[in-house]
Amino acid sequence: MIDAIKVNSLDFSYGEEEILSSLEFNVREGEFLAIAGPNGAGKSSLLNLLTQVLKPNKGNITLMGKDICDYSCLDMARTIAIVRQDFSTTFGFNVYETVMMARTAFFNILGFESSLDRDIVKNALEATNISHLANRELNEISTGERQRVFIARALAQDTPIILLDEPTSFLDLRHQVEIYDLLKRMQLESSKTILTVTHDINLSGQYCDKVLLLGYRDSFYLGDIKSIFENNKIAEIFSVSGASTEINGKYVFLPQGKYRKL
Amino acid sequence: MTQQSGLTFTKLLTSILIGVAILAATMLVCSLVGTKTLSIEQLIHSDISAIDSEIFYRIRLPRVLLASIVGAALAISGAVLQAILKNPLADPYILGISSGAGVGAMLASVMGLQFTFLGKSPIAIFAFIGAFATVWLVWTIGSLADKRSSNGLLLTGVVINTFLSAITMFMVAIARSSTVHSTMIWLMGNIFPEDLTTITTMAILTLLAAIALMRLGPSLNLISFSAAQAKTVGINVSRVRFITFLTTAFITSIAVSLSGLIGFVGLIVPHAVRLIWGADHRRLLPITAIAGAIFMVIADTIARIIISPAQLPVGILTALIGGPFFIVLLIKNSKRQNLL
Repeated sequence: MIDAIKVNSLDFSYGEEEILSSLEFNVREGEFLAIAGPNGAGKSSLLNLLTQVLKPNKGNITLMGKDICDYSCLDMARTIAIVRQDFSTTFGFNVYETVMMARTAFFNILGFESSLDRDIVKNALEATNISHLANRELNEISTGERQRVFIARALAQDTPIILLDEPTSFLDLRHQVEIYDLLKRMQLESSKTILTVTHDINLSGQYCDKVLLLGYRDSFYLGDIKSIFENNKIAEIFSVSGASTEINGKYVFLPQGKYRKL
Repeated sequence: MTQQSGLTFTKLLTSILIGVAILAATMLVCSLVGTKTLSIEQLIHSDISAIDSEIFYRIRLPRVLLASIVGAALAISGAVLQAILKNPLADPYILGISSGAGVGAMLASVMGLQFTFLGKSPIAIFAFIGAFATVWLVWTIGSLADKRSSNGLLLTGVVINTFLSAITMFMVAIARSSTVHSTMIWLMGNIFPEDLTTITTMAILTLLAAIALMRLGPSLNLISFSAAQAKTVGINVSRVRFITFLTTAFITSIAVSLSGLIGFVGLIVPHAVRLIWGADHRRLLPITAIAGAIFMVIADTIARIIISPAQLPVGILTALIGGPFFIVLLIKNSKRQNLL
């Protein structure tokens, strides 16, 4: 198995402010990685670095064994799909049109999709269980449904790697679990490499193979969920005190503040 | 369940052809009416006097043709700029074209220039130069100010528009020339019958620009959604932005130099089309161009006959009918679906 993503001594800063320093990690093909860490630790910056939206100050990134600098815009689109956090459309598009947008780079000379594109979109809609919403406007559907639309769009891009930026924020418990089930199914059935930024370590810990804890500047930790709990890394990286316990062989972390009820 | 994609190429082609047919019919009817109304039978059987024939072929038809070209250019530019700037309030003049043209035209008028170039007056030439130079200035400053979002461009456009308008007002205030008033009227937007060469050149340029813009339709869908997302899906966003700005600036500047500042067409026609047919730019752009042409032809005909034998600047009329028409459409449609 080769590395889907390999990050080597990566430095990144916004102006004077150092965000990432000497970051090193790798994700194997078909692996499910959760990225967690305090606000401002550079999780979203990392996703932008992986998609060439931002450029690192130092270090290099390899995708599927090839340096990221050697990727053209189109090659990137064939390799990495990303589900972003922000949703704002100026103009109304329906679900089908939104998912089909993932195929734009492959449209024919007249600017239209081929029957292959239509099949891919149809499969993506079915896999994410939103076929019945195809003709609905994006701002008419619920937040959970919309999140599935964006995941369907990432699927329709037909890439080996999918990145997600907090896909379960703003979702209730049932919808959070549904999204993780969906991601896990994509990993197992379509052998996608999945990286998801999350604040919910307890939930993502039940699904992902490894966790990358991203602290401030050069503090980070990569390991499976067991080693994170055994080494008490969450409290260290997030600088929060709390208790961890084991339920049915799964670890959970409960953050505890000063004025909590006893 | 099988999915129906809204739009296919055949469907698109059909609606374009229907649109062109409606446009042609509108143009014919509008060139028949006027102080002296002609009928189609008369025209077919050449049963018209030499003067009427002169009026129809030399004055009304060129005027209707020019109106349709100007309308199409302004409307499609508005639709494209709204997408690129991700702002429903954008119009073809937002990047400084109107104020740039104003300064250029006023400068030519105040200096009392007298020459013709390619059959055009100094006012038209200077308006074109002013408009195009201002867009270039806005583009340069805007991309320096904010490389990653379109807000830099938008703000620069607004600021430069205000600045240049002040310069125009300054020139109006200090000028004693009597031509200033006629330049102001010219700036309000008027369609004059132009010669055939001008109209043909303008038609070809606008058509080429429209085709270039329409080919970017799928990319504009993505960029109007999210520029960052467009990039990760494999669209070269800065290239698309540059091409669209250059193209829209060019055809709008030509339109302004021929007809002055005809407001509202570039703002409301794209919205009206979007409210009815949806936001897919592959369909939005051609239909907007056709609808802009139809709107402009009708508006110019009304401007021509409403206070005849005098004529109203068509720019005043587009705002007068465009505004209320758009508000009705907006209220009616936003009840049904939440598009804006």
